[in-house]
Amino acid sequence: MPPAMRDKITIHSRAVVPQDAELKGDITIGAGTIVHPKATIFAAAGPIVIGSGCILEEAVILVNRRKEVMRIGDDNLFEVGCRVESPSIGNMNTISARARVHHTVRISSYCFIGAGCLLVPTEDEILEEYTVVYGPSAERRNWSGRGKLQEADLRRKHADYLKEMLPKFNRLRRGDGT
Amino acid sequence: MSASIEYYCPCLAASPHPPPPHLASSSYSFHPLHNLYFCEECDAVRCNRCVLVEVSGYFCPNCLFEVPSASVRAEKNRCARNCFNCPICRNTLSVVASDPEGNEGRMSPIVSNTLGEPPFFLFCNNCRWDSAEIGITFEKPTGLAAQLQKFEDSAPDALEFEHLKEHFEPYLRASSSALPTTTAHSHHHVNPITAAASSALARDVPGVGKYNPLTRSRVGRDKNAGKQEIPDYNSRVEIGTLGALGAGGGDSDVEFMRRLEDMAEVAALEQRWVNSWTASLRSSDLKPLRIPLQVKKSKRCPACRHILIKPEQKSQSTRYKIKLVAANYLPAIHVSLPHAIAAMELMKRSPSLNKSLSSVVDDPSVTGLMPGKTYAFHLAFTNPLYDPIQVRLKKVQPKPMVNTDEDHDKPRRVPFQVSLPTAAIGIAAFAEAWEYEDDEEDMFGLEEDDLDMDAHGGTGKDGRGKTRTVGVIERRANTTVISGEVILTKEARGNVRFNMLVSYTYRSDDPEPPEENEDGTPSRSHAAPKAPEMKNFSFYTVVDLGPVVRREESRSEYDA
Repeated sequence: MPPAMRDKITIHSRAVVPQDAELKGDITIGAGTIVHPKATIFAAAGPIVIGSGCILEEAVILVNRRKEVMRIGDDNLFEVGCRVESPSIGNMNTISARARVHHTVRISSYCFIGAGCLLVPTEDEILEEYTVVYGPSAERRNWSGRGKLQEADLRRKHADYLKEMLPKFNRLRRGDGT
Repeated sequence: MSASIEYYCPCLAASPHPPPPHLASSSYSFHPLHNLYFCEECDAVRCNRCVLVEVSGYFCPNCLFEVPSASVRAEKNRCARNCFNCPICRNTLSVVASDPEGNEGRMSPIVSNTLGEPPFFLFCNNCRWDSAEIGITFEKPTGLAAQLQKFEDSAPDALEFEHLKEHFEPYLRASSSALPTTTAHSHHHVNPITAAASSALARDVPGVGKYNPLTRSRVGRDKNAGKQEIPDYNSRVEIGTLGALGAGGGDSDVEFMRRLEDMAEVAALEQRWVNSWTASLRSSDLKPLRIPLQVKKSKRCPACRHILIKPEQKSQSTRYKIKLVAANYLPAIHVSLPHAIAAMELMKRSPSLNKSLSSVVDDPSVTGLMPGKTYAFHLAFTNPLYDPIQVRLKKVQPKPMVNTDEDHDKPRRVPFQVSLPTAAIGIAAFAEAWEYEDDEEDMFGLEEDDLDMDAHGGTGKDGRGKTRTVGVIERRANTTVISGEVILTKEARGNVRFNMLVSYTYRSDDPEPPEENEDGTPSRSHAAPKAPEMKNFSFYTVVDLGPVVRREESRSEYDA
C-alpha cells in the first residue's frame, strides 16, 4: 500500500459530520450529506469526493485504494456496517447493512445492494442502473423503478431529520478551510 | 464445544437402562436438557419423540391474526388478509402506492408528501420485485386476498380441481352415508381441533380400500361396486392443450427453453414447488402466494395424557399457560475439560496466535484427548429446585453382552476408565435473586457442613491434596462443580462417551407417601431413612468428552 496521504478534509457548511467520525486522507463532503458518528472514510491512495444528500450510517467504511478519485454521487444511502471500496458510485443507490462492495465494482445509479451481500467479482464490472443484488448468494434482478419518487422523498426526509437531530447530541466537525 | 452432555428418555426402549453410548442408534434416545419435558403425574422425563402433539390454534405468522379453525380449510391454510410472500425470494410483500404522475424528473428540494396514488401494488423490500411486473394491481390497499381470489379461482388447475370435486361429490355423499361412521377412536381429552384433524385423516375414502389386510376381500367387492356407479369423468381442458395455455409441460416448455437467453427467465425449483399444482417454468408466471398459516401446538404426556405444554391462545403472546419442562425439575449439568479451557486461554493471551483463534477452537489437537493420558473433567450441577438437593453419580458399566458381541470382530478392551465421586454431593437451592452475602452461608451452613462431611468421607478428601482431584471443587450459589477423571488407554480412539446415572434426593411437596411406584422408571424408590418426606429421582445421561486424537495425526498437524 502506498504511503497514506496527507489529511485534507473539505466539508460543505451544510453537511453534518460529527467529530467522532473518522476521516483520513483527502476527503471532500458535499452539501446536505450526513455522516454518523463512528463512520470511517479512508482515502488511502486517492481522494474521496462525496456528493450532496448522502447518508453514511454508523460503522460504515468507505475506502479508496486506487490512485484515482473515488466519486460518490448524490442521495446515496450507506446503511449500518457496510463496507464500500467501489471507485465510482452514481446517485440514489442503497447499500444495505453489512453489505460489502469490492473495488472492482462500479455502481451506476438507482442500484440496491441487499443486506449482507458480498459483491466481490475478480474482474472489473459496472452495475447497470436499477440493478438489485439480494439474497445470500448475491443474486441479481432489475428493479422496475416503480416507487422511486416516493423513495427519493423518504430519503430526503430521512436526511432532514438527521440534520436536525445529530447536531443536538454530537459536536460537529468543520473542514480544514474554515 | 468438545464436551457435552445429553439426557436419556426411556421412551424407545423396553428396559429402563439406556443403550450403550458407542452405538450409533443410541443417539435417538438422548436429548439436550432444553428439549425435554417432565410429567409430574408419571414422575418421568418425556421427549419430543414420545409426547402427543396437538394443534391448539392457527394463526398467520405475518399479521398474527388468529384464524378460527372452522375457516382454515376454506381459506386453504393460507392467510386470507393482506399477507403475501414474494414469488422470487420468499420475503414478505408490502402494499405500496404508485408514484404521483406527471413530475417524472422532479428532484426539487421541497419535501413533498410521500403519499402515493392508486393503483396499489405489492412490493418486495428484499429483491424489489413488484406485482405490477406481472400485471397485478389493486384499487384499494385492503382486502388484497379477496381481490386476488378471482385470479386464484380462475386458474385452469383450480377450475379443473373444482370440476373434479363436483364430479365426485354425489358419489362421495352417497357412499359416506352408506358406510358406517368410524368413530371408534378413543379421544378422551382431545380438543375439537385435533379431533377434527385426526378424524379427517382417519376417515375412509370411499372406493379406496382401508389399510387392513383382513378385510381386503370385502373392500375389493366395495371397490367393484363403486366402480360401476361412477360415470366417466370428462376433463374441462384437453391435456394436450394445457401446455399452450401456459400451465406447463409439453412442447411449449421445450420451445421456451430453446429460446432461453437468461437464466433468470426460468423459475427456480424453490420458487415453484411451494405451489400446490405443477407450475409454469417461466419466472414471469410466478404469482405472489398467500402466507401459509402456522399452528401453536400443545403437548401431552403419552402415558397419562396430562398436558405438558400449552401455549397461550393469543398469537402475539409467546408465553405458556402450562410449561412442564425438564429443566425446571432436573439439575442442569455442564461438562467442561479444564485442559482444553486452559489451552484456549493460552491461545487468547499470546498475540501472535490471536488471528487463528477461531481455527484453534475447532482444532482437535489442542482441545482433544490424547490416548494413554489421564484427564480431569468438570461437571457443574445447577439446581433448579427451591430446595437443596443431594446428587449421587454412578458410571454405568456397559452390559457384558455388548462387549462379547464386539469381541467377535475385534478383541478390544474398554478404551477408557472413568472415576467419579461416589459420595453424595449437595447442591444449594435455587433462589430468585442470588446475592453474595455472608448470611447466605449461615442460611445453608448446616446442610453444607453435612454434605461436605459426606464428600470428604468419600474420595474427595484423598484427592484434594493431589493436583487431580475427584470430588467437589467449587460451590457457588445453586451450582456445584465436581471433578472426575478419565484414564485413556493406549489404543483408545473415537469419542469418549459414557453413560452416567444421576440420582438426586429432594424434598417432596405433596404430603402423602409416594406409593405409586412406577415400573418403567427407576424413580421414587423412597430411599431416605431419616427424612420421610425426601424423595429420590434418577435419570441417565450420556457424557461426551470429545474425540480422542491419534498421536500420528496430531504430530502431522504440528509439522504442517
